[in-house]
Amino acid sequence: MGSVALRNIRKSYGPVEVLHGIDLDIQDGEFTVLVGPSGCGKSTLLRSIAGLETITGGDICIDETVINSLAPKERNIAMVFQNYALYPHMSVAKNMGFSLRLAKESPSEINRKVNAAAEILDLTNLLDRYPRQLSGGQRQRVAMGRAIVRDPKVFLFDEPLSNLDAKLRVQMRSEIKELHQRLKTTTVYVTHDQIEAMTMADRIVVMRGGQVEQIGTPLELYDRPASVFVAGFIGSPSMNFIAATARDDGLLLDTDESLGKTPVALANGRGVIAGFRPEDIRLSDTGVSAKVALIEPTGAETQLVLRTGENSIVMTTRDRISLSPGDPVHFSISEGKLHCFDAESERALSGAV
Amino acid sequence: MNEQPRPLYWTFLGIVGIVISIYVLFPVFWLFLASFKTQAELAQLPISFWPETPTLEAYTALFSPTHQKGQLLDWPQLIGNSFFVAISSTVLVLFFGTLAGYAFARLNFPGRDLILGGLLISRMFQGAALLLPTYRLMSMLGLQDSLVGLVLLYSAFGLPFATWIIASSLREIPKELEESAMIDGASRLQSMVMVVLPLATPALITASMWHFVGAWSEFAFASILLESNANKTVTIGLASFVELFTLEFQYVGAAATIVALPIMLVFFFGQRYFTRGLLAGAVKG
Ligand SMILES: Nc1ncnc2c1ncn2[C@@H]1O[C@H](COP(=O)(O)OP(=O)(O)O)[C@@H](O)[C@H]1O
Ligand SMILES: [Mg+2]
Repeated sequence: MGSVALRNIRKSYGPVEVLHGIDLDIQDGEFTVLVGPSGCGKSTLLRSIAGLETITGGDICIDETVINSLAPKERNIAMVFQNYALYPHMSVAKNMGFSLRLAKESPSEINRKVNAAAEILDLTNLLDRYPRQLSGGQRQRVAMGRAIVRDPKVFLFDEPLSNLDAKLRVQMRSEIKELHQRLKTTTVYVTHDQIEAMTMADRIVVMRGGQVEQIGTPLELYDRPASVFVAGFIGSPSMNFIAATARDDGLLLDTDESLGKTPVALANGRGVIAGFRPEDIRLSDTGVSAKVALIEPTGAETQLVLRTGENSIVMTTRDRISLSPGDPVHFSISEGKLHCFDAESERALSGAV
Repeated sequence: MNEQPRPLYWTFLGIVGIVISIYVLFPVFWLFLASFKTQAELAQLPISFWPETPTLEAYTALFSPTHQKGQLLDWPQLIGNSFFVAISSTVLVLFFGTLAGYAFARLNFPGRDLILGGLLISRMFQGAALLLPTYRLMSMLGLQDSLVGLVLLYSAFGLPFATWIIASSLREIPKELEESAMIDGASRLQSMVMVVLPLATPALITASMWHFVGAWSEFAFASILLESNANKTVTIGLASFVELFTLEFQYVGAAATIVALPIMLVFFFGQRYFTRGLLAGAVKG
């Protein structure tokens, strides 16, 4: 068991508050990803859960018990750091068995648990090596091994893949995911990479400036972003945003062309931010007129940059395109894929499906 | 600045280095050789360089305590005293320097960096200027002519620099290692002893070597504080030898060799720790 509940968590460094009241419920066994731009407080929140930072307000509960004042070692959590933090003077086996040794388990028991974890992570042949003799990916696995031997209630990961090259990152991503499916240990995983968040998470927490912007499953965030920030952050290439005005006959651009039907009832003349994803754009005979600015085939799909008035719009399509830069085109947005955000608050006005 | 120095430049530097080394080391080496010569050979002209009939007579004399020219020459006692003072003060400096260095490296307190810099500056106010006040202070405390007093004095003088060396090296150890240890179940003390100190070994050894050599070879304070023969240290013994045996130089040579030996051993066994990069592999790399 290992459910985590955060109640109105606040954290200040001196006079500067960096977490402004975070609320979050994590179910037992859930894989939760905290995602957001650098400096938004992800690490601080994770370290607060670990007990490495003292929070200045709120409650942290594990299994319904408030653990605010417990030392890290009393919280029954394990953490994998961005730089792995392997003990350089200990072999892989010693690194993995360190927590068990501190818990005064018998050498034979330590041996058994370390071997079992090494088996899972394919580290059996490396047990006698020292961290400096390992590759980046192997160090990463040792760091995970050190976490799993203890069978903790919660795993905490702080950007564990950011020191690996792109290919290894993809591989380790699926290894971590598989490990979680196997062990079913509650996991809180921090990353600034939205693709990692999308591919790994059961639930994503998007953070911004020390606050939670939106919580949801990957597809919920993708389909129903609660704000311009989330809409732009999740998905690659990013959602297109254009200033528009709500009219009875649809969302009009300042060229008086219509993007399509307003997804929700809006007062006539209200200024909004319209949003639509690159893959929801169709080239058509009618619709908004634009010029092709750039064509970038990537093989499976092609990315086009269109220009309409002041705005650049990115679209992707799986069709083979026989256009060249400068060609005039018309585009429209697939039915029900138009998002609408308040021009002031940038919060979503619609539940586009 | 990025220009590659020419080979000629290095050759020149090398030659200068060798010349300086010979100039500095020649008297030392001559004294060393003299310790194996007989009285007769030292007196003869022309002066010989290599001992003609090498003998350990000077060394045997050194290790058999006797009265000569009205002075007690008890080198085993002197050596014992010096070891006592140097080792005890090194242990004290290492212990308190580690605790203080850890505090400077890991805890946040007002004025920390200022005080740490001050530790280094305090080294400038040592030496002759402190002789008299130190003597007065030690007398008031009843610690003149006491080896324990000397141990405390050396420790006090050595602590700032040792603290500085240790603090600087502990700062280089990623704090995630300790955080990781604490999550793994270690107390602060355990994480310090089991994770931090093993990684700081090079710095601990460097600080100990530095202090040991300084304490072993300290002369000025020892000479004004120590009075009775039973309390004297090797540097005082050596000084009195130079006065006593202006002609019998083989004794001075033997004594100087014995005094230099621990220092040479310390450097011989300690030097590999200066460069050892134990930290490799701690973080990404
Ligand atoms: N020890 C600290 N002292 C002061 N400010 C800090 C400290 N650690 C982090 N911060 C600040 O807190 C904010 C959040 O940092 P962090 O949690 O590391 O962000 P993230 O992990 O999302 O990149 C940043 O603005 C950072 O400058
Ligand atoms: Mg971070």
